Amino acid sequence: MSMTGSAVLFSPAHPFPRVRGKFMQFLSNQKTQIGLLILVPILVLVVLAPYLPLQKPLQTNLRAMMQWPSWTFPFGTDRMGRDVLSRTLEGVKVSLLVGFSVAFISLAFGVVLGTIAGFFGRFVDRAIMTVVDILLAFPSLLLAIGLVSIVGTGIFPVIVAIAFADVPRFVRLQRSLVLGLRTRAFIDAARTMRASKTWLLFRHIVPNTIAPLLVAASIAAANAILVEASLSFLGLGIMPPEPSLGNIIRDGQTYLEQAWWISTLPGAVILAIAISLHFLSDGIRESLDPRART
Amino acid sequence: MNFARTMIDTVLSVRDLRTEFATDKGVVRAVNGVSFAMRRGERMAIVGESGSGKSAMAMSLIRLLVHPGKVVNGEVWLQGRDIMTMSESELNDVRGNEIGTVFQDPMSSLDPVMKVRDQMVPPIMRHLSLDRARAEAAAVAWLDKVGIPDAARRIDAFPFEMSGGMRQRVMIAMALSCQPKLIIADEPTTALDVTIQAQIVELLRTLTAETGTAMLFITHDLGLVSRFARTVAVMYAGKIVEIGPTRDVFGNPKHPYTQSLLSAIPRGADGGRSRLVQIPGFPPDMRQEILGCAFKDRCLGAEQRCGEAAPPLSARGPSHDAACWQPNGLDAGSLAQMRKTTDRAARPDVEALPPHDILETNNLSKHFVRGSMLPWRKPVVVRALNGVSLRVRRGETLGIVGESGCGKSTVARLLLELDAPTTGEIFIQGTAQMVFQDPSSSFNPKMRVQDIISEPLDINGRGSKADRAEKVRTLIRQVGLDPSYLERYPSQLSGGQRQRVAVARALALDPTVVVADEPTSALDVSVRAQIINLLCDLKDELGISFVFISHDLSTVRYISDWIAVMYLGEVVEYGPAEEVFRAPAHPYTRALLDAAPVLDPSAEDDRPVSIIKGELPSPLDIPRGCGFATRCPHVSELCRTEKPILVQRQPNRKEACHHVG
Repeated sequence: MSMTGSAVLFSPAHPFPRVRGKFMQFLSNQKTQIGLLILVPILVLVVLAPYLPLQKPLQTNLRAMMQWPSWTFPFGTDRMGRDVLSRTLEGVKVSLLVGFSVAFISLAFGVVLGTIAGFFGRFVDRAIMTVVDILLAFPSLLLAIGLVSIVGTGIFPVIVAIAFADVPRFVRLQRSLVLGLRTRAFIDAARTMRASKTWLLFRHIVPNTIAPLLVAASIAAANAILVEASLSFLGLGIMPPEPSLGNIIRDGQTYLEQAWWISTLPGAVILAIAISLHFLSDGIRESLDPRART
Repeated sequence: MNFARTMIDTVLSVRDLRTEFATDKGVVRAVNGVSFAMRRGERMAIVGESGSGKSAMAMSLIRLLVHPGKVVNGEVWLQGRDIMTMSESELNDVRGNEIGTVFQDPMSSLDPVMKVRDQMVPPIMRHLSLDRARAEAAAVAWLDKVGIPDAARRIDAFPFEMSGGMRQRVMIAMALSCQPKLIIADEPTTALDVTIQAQIVELLRTLTAETGTAMLFITHDLGLVSRFARTVAVMYAGKIVEIGPTRDVFGNPKHPYTQSLLSAIPRGADGGRSRLVQIPGFPPDMRQEILGCAFKDRCLGAEQRCGEAAPPLSARGPSHDAACWQPNGLDAGSLAQMRKTTDRAARPDVEALPPHDILETNNLSKHFVRGSMLPWRKPVVVRALNGVSLRVRRGETLGIVGESGCGKSTVARLLLELDAPTTGEIFIQGTAQMVFQDPSSSFNPKMRVQDIISEPLDINGRGSKADRAEKVRTLIRQVGLDPSYLERYPSQLSGGQRQRVAVARALALDPTVVVADEPTSALDVSVRAQIINLLCDLKDELGISFVFISHDLSTVRYISDWIAVMYLGEVVEYGPAEEVFRAPAHPYTRALLDAAPVLDPSAEDDRPVSIIKGELPSPLDIPRGCGFATRCPHVSELCRTEKPILVQRQPNRKEACHHVG
């Protein structure tokens, strides 16, 4: 850091003790712990999957078709004798990748565009918000379906499509947060010290939007996982034989009466992941915003 | 206390009331054994600082405590029935029928989507068993009685169509309409302007006299107590520490807390410039068991026995009780010691200083224009400020007073270039900095005190990093805080400490002028005294000029050398503070002074009741002539047609009025 007396813009306000304190608070939160209790075992299984005595996800076994769940096949097998558990774990990998990528991309674009719209106002605001409002007029699943039909199938196009449908919501959230902060007295106080716009943005406004954004991002991750499953279920997302929770469920749907486990068990896993992410988002909210605690 | 004495006349008697709030962080003992009695038609005030348990006590009386709160012990006898043992349906009959309530914020206690009629009439029908037509007639009569003009028409208004003062009148009419025996008013005038506050207090006083309703008035404003109440109970840490006739308690206080509180308030003329008393320390943590007297840690007269047992209330005069082991509380020596130093140096002689202006504004005005999206609609213009010229000399304080909407905060924003003036110019030698009203919202919650105070230095790149850190340490000591506070976050500071940090931040750039917009109005009485003392000291030590904006006349009088009285965006009177307060020339200044309560109950009794009528006109529609013509007692035809300008008639003094001199 230069000592010549020029204004230091990005020197963080001693983040470490505080960040660590907040993180401990997050970890000790009851809802965080419930969320982790569900999510961590799933993650451990996903990571360990290649080393477990499971049949490979793509391997077929015509001597063991549509078998009941057993010790060899804990989630049973499907009509081509593939191991449902090992396919599910592979699908979870895809789901989590999609969920977190979408959350990260929407967060990044949402923060930038929302901050610009909220802080600079006027024409820029109107331009950004008009586009955002038009996009928001479509249900996000429909928007994603439309986009996938343009950009094609596969993990990467799916991430792009879902993120594109999610960004408008983040823009709106960030804009409203910025608008609220802009009128706070500490912004006026900084202005009386002749603070530049960059100073106001990076020292006062953006740091105060992080907590609610993280909450929104964790919910967006859960939502993206569900949307990806829906797209794959409709045959628009991840294409078979590559497993994804959505297309596994679709495969099993036809045999629901003879082999309920093919669809139901992966479905339960999706449910568990979505629930755990919602618990985590509650945990983030409660540990970052003291008023949220009841 | 003497319960038997007036049993027949007694409306309410409370015995050993205890209320607790079970929170995450332990049990808060908000009310710790309160006993008192009220007679028919009695006007009693409960005073205390925030956290003293006064509101919790009042809510306990009618069992309206919110969730974690619980009355754990005590009896509340209302006309021979114990409220604490009543069923919920009996209680509902009592509330409204026998006990009426008026709360601080009439906007949130009135239903925003119901007309006044629909909120007033059904309770009257139920409680007084009247038919609809009669109940409506009664409602209109009450609205008329509380001073709502054109009551028959206004009964169909929605709450948001009324001003704050009018809404509070509606609340009072509602409370009185069922002819209760007792009214509990919790800070009923705190949200209102001084002139409206005076109207409401006067209204309550005459109505209780007429109807014989007893009134329990909860407030933090000691001036209001002396104006309104016959009896006063002072609460501290959930207990009544002194109770008695207002004249006796205020004239001859016996408890150290009452004594220090009364000396912590700037008084009018007689108080002069003596330093205000500062109560050391903080109120006790109500989650801990308090051993002995709760005030002992802050009391200069504390002895060993104060830590061993809590003193009970004992008689100090006819129905005057205090809870202190010393018969007379603090002696004069201790009080003088609490003023810390000798009296402040006499203010520098105005004429002796070289006439060196630090700040000058010329014909400043600010109009806010709200355009419409439809081009044929006329834009709405709010004239917040209309031609204001001010001057502040070096080392002097200019006080700006006026009611909300008079433009005083707009002046502050213009002086600090937060807004650009519509017309006019501002000249400032050096820099101006600001201290804001609410110390909690003027800090970024994510920054530590260190970074908050150093922010102006960082922005302007003053000195090296080490220089800045050194400057920050100097500043924090200058405002009377230990450098260890630098590590804290604003949420870990008390209100007074936060305001000290705000002052330190304002001083960081070595300003020549500090603009303070209501810097003490969010603070408790004892803390307020500390901040006022601090500002006075800084002015004397550093030769900084202050622009002190407030609606609190006694504070402004205490701290200011010059004063500007504002009304509807204009200065209507300007002159040396002491002279203006002693001999106000403009009718509005006189009205303001009449409306502001003073601390002396006997003076309040002798004061002629000449309370200004009406309310501030809208700044959307400013009268053509004199802005004050709609409320002025001396109004003439000339005032309505021709605007008076600010004219100097005596040396140093200016007024804008056709009828002065």
